[in-house]
Amino acid sequence: MTDDVFADATQVAGSGDVMIELEGVDKFFDDFQALKDINLKVGRQEMVVVIGPSGSGKSTMIRCINRLESHDAGRIVVDGTVLSDDIRNIQEIRRETGMVFQQFNLFPHLTVLDNVILAPRKVRKLPRAEAEQLGRDLLTHVKIPEQAEKYPGQLSGGQQQRVAIARSLAMKPKVMLFDEPTSALDPEMINEVLETMKDLAREGMTMIVVTHEMGFAREVADRVVFMADGQIVEVGTPEHFFTNPSEPRTQEFLDQIL
Amino acid sequence: MTTTAPQTPRLSPLAWARRHLFRTWGDTVITVVAAVVVGYVVYRFANFVFVTGRWEIIRVNLSLFIVGLYDRDELWRPALALIVTGGLGGLVAGVVRRRQLFAGSADPDRPLGERLVDLAGRLWPAVLAVLLLLMMATTITPWLVVAATIAAAIVFRLIGERLPRRALAPVVVVVIATMFFMVWLLAQGVGWDEWGGLMLNVFLAAVSITLCFPLGVLLALGRRSKLPLIRAISTAYIELFRGVPLIVLLFMVNNTLGFFMPGDYDPSSVLRAIVVFTLFTAAYVAEIVRGGLQSVPRGQVEAGQALGMSPVRITFLIVLPQALRNVIPALVGQFISLFKDTTLAGAAMGFLELLQTAEAVTRFPDFSGQGLIAETLVFVTFIFWVGSYTMSRESQRLEHKLGVGTR
Repeated sequence: MTDDVFADATQVAGSGDVMIELEGVDKFFDDFQALKDINLKVGRQEMVVVIGPSGSGKSTMIRCINRLESHDAGRIVVDGTVLSDDIRNIQEIRRETGMVFQQFNLFPHLTVLDNVILAPRKVRKLPRAEAEQLGRDLLTHVKIPEQAEKYPGQLSGGQQQRVAIARSLAMKPKVMLFDEPTSALDPEMINEVLETMKDLAREGMTMIVVTHEMGFAREVADRVVFMADGQIVEVGTPEHFFTNPSEPRTQEFLDQIL
Repeated sequence: MTTTAPQTPRLSPLAWARRHLFRTWGDTVITVVAAVVVGYVVYRFANFVFVTGRWEIIRVNLSLFIVGLYDRDELWRPALALIVTGGLGGLVAGVVRRRQLFAGSADPDRPLGERLVDLAGRLWPAVLAVLLLLMMATTITPWLVVAATIAAAIVFRLIGERLPRRALAPVVVVVIATMFFMVWLLAQGVGWDEWGGLMLNVFLAAVSITLCFPLGVLLALGRRSKLPLIRAISTAYIELFRGVPLIVLLFMVNNTLGFFMPGDYDPSSVLRAIVVFTLFTAAYVAEIVRGGLQSVPRGQVEAGQALGMSPVRITFLIVLPQALRNVIPALVGQFISLFKDTTLAGAAMGFLELLQTAEAVTRFPDFSGQGLIAETLVFVTFIFWVGSYTMSRESQRLEHKLGVGTR
């Protein structure tokens, strides 16, 4: 495969069929245009990393995919379902789409295990015993089975973020969105979270990751998307992106951070 | 406590006093003057309580203070209600303890003796008050009722601890149903208007607290609703009731209800008072809960949304539990207020609750003209203090328990 194949944002890697499609998406906060004509396709099992300076619209873009923000123009399709204003349609898409936040957003009044199994029990209607089995399996998967009965406040940041990942996975999503998952972590905890994410990518999860971890992007991403001022400036393989970017804006950004 | 903070070395009492009380001439003067004033007041008060006070006015009229004019042949009803309340309290405590044991937040190996000491430390004012009242009793019956209440509490505590976990929902239903049944049982015996004494204060407060809490929560949610009509109604309600003095509302339902209601509708005073307390306190509860709702970070809602949960589930499973935990102290403060404000109902509507009884007994032939109002007021003060202090202490404990390890 050559770089040219991926230079177009509407081409996909992964298994070939399209999982997420954004078409001409605009987003305004009052007069400020946060997203300008975003076009992006993400293939099934593809791992896309989004980078760019702060305020460039990265988070806004992935928050539009599960309707934490509503888009003002364009079309968003997740696994063949077009995102509309209908609340049932929105919840349908949210159930298929896991999201991990910068601030973890675990539920502080519930134990770790209850955090993980709340949605499976209440939304997927799993019986408690079955849900608990699922929850413990997932906590084992993110390597913290022994913390199940504790409360989030008793865990380190890295552990909390892994619980948040397990909580999202418990809904068996087809897509995982990561919104700067390591930005609120102490440096020594970043790796354990990135490792968990790498495992997920290897297992073939479709992922969009907003991050500043360039090493991670380079190692794991199928494609890297560079955004600035609400627009997608450049899309390419990590190889192309980090060694030979075509856009001056990209080069400028890389010079600043590397 | 396992604190490792550096300890200031312990001073001998003399050195401590020299450093904190007599360091300068100014300090010494303030210390001496304050000691004299405090000592004098305490002496006078102790002298009154233990020497000159003529407490027989309380002893003779004790049953009036406790149950008012409630038909003496029907007293088994409040007695039974008290025992059942003890049982329900025990049941709830047992279920809670079982859940705590399961969640690992209670220590199963703590010796019984230590736990009893702990309980006594928590409830000593209430224990003291009950003992004091029992000492003044002239028959054995009150002792038996109290003993039965404690026995019921212990028995149901043990039962509650052994119930399976999925019994929680039935337990809640049973507790609520039993409470309704007890109100019915109490009301069957005598007309509402014969109620009086401490029983009436406690009843008014308990029923109003139970009713105003859900109403207040709904109003708080309503005020944050996206639907303009619901928001407007909730806001108007809250601002209207917070803008009127409670006692004015009580006077109004007592005297002018006929202007607003169909002519033949004439509810009893107790019912009117309950409605006023409930509507009034609900407005305050709503504002407290709204503050709590605002204290829950936006990210909590987003996390629920991202998991595909419905707005109702997000509110009741994620936001409200955190919001309520954050406002326990303010909520209990409001409930303590309500408990004390039940005396206003006596003043405005004229039924013989504790305070009115205190005033009325001094006009009885045996006691009139002897200036015994001080004795009865001190007694009433003590009873209200015990109730309020116990609620306050228990709320601190609840706050602490719910806050452990969750931040």
